[in-house]
Amino acid sequence: MAYSELIKSFNRTREYMRQFYIFGFKSREEYGMKSPRSYDDEKRRVESWLGEYMRFRQGADGKTVFLSIDSRSAEANPLFKAWRAKSFTDIDITLHFLIFDILYAEGVALTLGEIIGGIEKRLGEFARPRFFDESTVRKKLKEYELEGIISAERRGRSTVYQRSASLFNEAEPPMLPHALRFFSEVAPCGVIGSFLLEKYEKNGAKARRSPVFGFKHHIITFTVDEEIVFALFEAMREKRLVLLELLARDGRSMTERVVPLKILRGVQSGRQYLMARTEAGRILPYRLDNVLSVKKDEVCGQFDEYRAALAAMRRHLWGVSTHGRSGKRLERVEFTVRCEAGEEHILARLEREKRCGSVERLDENRLRFTAEVYDASELIPWIRSFICRIESLKISDGFLEARFRHDLEKMYALYGVGGGAE
Amino acid sequence: MIFSELYSAYYSTVASLISGALEGRITNADISRASFESAFDESAVYIEQALKSERWQVLTKNGETPLEHAPSTPETLLERRFLKAVLSDPRMKLFGISAAAFPALDGVEPLFTDEDFEIFDRFGDGDPYDDSDYFESFGVILRALREKKRLEVFAESRKGRRVRLVMTPQRLEYSEKDDKFRLTGCGAVKQDVVNLARIRSVRIIEGEAGAFTQSKRAIKRVCFELYDRRRALERVLLHFAHLEKQTEKLDEGKYLVTLYYDEADETEMVIRLLSFGPMIKIIEPESFVSLIKQRLISQMRYNI
Repeated sequence: MAYSELIKSFNRTREYMRQFYIFGFKSREEYGMKSPRSYDDEKRRVESWLGEYMRFRQGADGKTVFLSIDSRSAEANPLFKAWRAKSFTDIDITLHFLIFDILYAEGVALTLGEIIGGIEKRLGEFARPRFFDESTVRKKLKEYELEGIISAERRGRSTVYQRSASLFNEAEPPMLPHALRFFSEVAPCGVIGSFLLEKYEKNGAKARRSPVFGFKHHIITFTVDEEIVFALFEAMREKRLVLLELLARDGRSMTERVVPLKILRGVQSGRQYLMARTEAGRILPYRLDNVLSVKKDEVCGQFDEYRAALAAMRRHLWGVSTHGRSGKRLERVEFTVRCEAGEEHILARLEREKRCGSVERLDENRLRFTAEVYDASELIPWIRSFICRIESLKISDGFLEARFRHDLEKMYALYGVGGGAE
Repeated sequence: MIFSELYSAYYSTVASLISGALEGRITNADISRASFESAFDESAVYIEQALKSERWQVLTKNGETPLEHAPSTPETLLERRFLKAVLSDPRMKLFGISAAAFPALDGVEPLFTDEDFEIFDRFGDGDPYDDSDYFESFGVILRALREKKRLEVFAESRKGRRVRLVMTPQRLEYSEKDDKFRLTGCGAVKQDVVNLARIRSVRIIEGEAGAFTQSKRAIKRVCFELYDRRRALERVLLHFAHLEKQTEKLDEGKYLVTLYYDEADETEMVIRLLSFGPMIKIIEPESFVSLIKQRLISQMRYNI
């Protein structure tokens, strides 16, 4: 098939964007595509959308392509561009503009026959005008009705169609474009906010826009999973089970039937999870970047009950893991840090980062953190961030406690500290 | 569906070309310009081909249009549902916007609620969005940014001292991790950064337009070896996904990663890199290696 910069499905691109942006060290041969041309086409597309961020490196293993983006200096998420690359047919685009030209203003209500008449009149100016039969136009109008941009109404014996009323009018709040810009970047499914913003600007408000926001610690790759998030939101609103098609670690796909309960986003870890109840009756996290597709299933009568169960679990959840390696229901984590005079920021840091844990001052110079969690291993990286002042550490899972100490010894050795060297 | 041609860059480009053709015949140069503005690097070629061959019968091959009105499309249900959802966000109030501004959204189901979505690793001392002084400061700053005006800011420093800043505001910078806004701007001699929650009062200096010179960020780099044990490669690269970076495979399970970060965030970077334990080893610069070593030496004395 001839190359096109537009694509029919987002899934393959989703994986490539992630590989180019997050990993960025694979050469063409390492992608394992069916044919080298598939890789070339995907690379060419990403380059076409995001050329200014594309970088190349020539190594011994071949040429490596990667995306290098400092999200703090980007005014808007550059990866949103990929969402604007949906393919369409000649009929789709022609009918789209003709229909909205005929139904040009709110209140213009026409029958199917009148719309077809308007189409034929406009197409008369072409040497070889396209012919649109009733069923094609009716189908497009029906599709637009479902999208909410056309409304249909019975008047007597016929149906009349009109464009839906626009949300934006003279009285809209002046800060709306800034709000849309902000929520495009921070809300789930934020790309929809960017579509709205563009529509708003097309309606004559472009002059009011200026880049006022910047974003720090901004994980722009969440956007590539937004179709999955959207499908899960839909299922949750309708309290339905879903069939999750998942990518297993061995690269094969598998399907699980679960009750979706909540999306949890990690703005530090860069991962998003679905918390869901499995058929075996457990509440487990599913990484969204491993979800290939979501299919809605039947309504779940116990949805509210399961969601309440998840809410109750939150007081023992550090991250998303609902069970640890020891198999025990809960593990206790306790550590003490030294805090000298003038280091009050350490207490402030513990307080703001403690999540489900608690912090107490033992004496003038010592602070203790404690938590009871399902999976103590989730706290280890955070505890390490206090290295230089950890006075004591106790984890009820002895294996984790020993591993922490072992890792610390390895760090001393790595840096040749205390006489050790690796 | 989010991935729909209704939001496609090609539709946007063709819409602006039709608008142009209503004013007068459009040329190939117009197609190139519109494609460059609204679509992708190679779009002009495809769009020109489709229009010149009259496959998309909205513009003739002569650059004229039989359409009578500048194209516009109402907001889709998806867009309405998104707006309805974010109208419930406590931060929306900062923009002076409430759901009452959109009566057309009555009866529209929000795309999500806070029952459906949560950030689980956000810090607990986020900004006070319900505080009236905070709200007022936010509004004044937003106005200054829109109107390109200078600001006089009175804020409380970390040590509790009252400070006065006169600055040309540049950005309101939001951190999802901290759930805080910071105001960045050009002061008299350097770039100023002030947490919005520390601002006690702020006013626009009327009549004085800001110079709006973008002060250059001081960027530093840190380079480390990464040993891919316990899925460290993926964890590290996702954790630092927001930074400009390069990753190179050195050997099976061994990688070289270079990150670029703001100089002001050095302590934060030290802490974050420490959290990966022995899965990474800082290689350069030497000054950064020393920062890690100092912490390890301090830790040794506790002999835990």
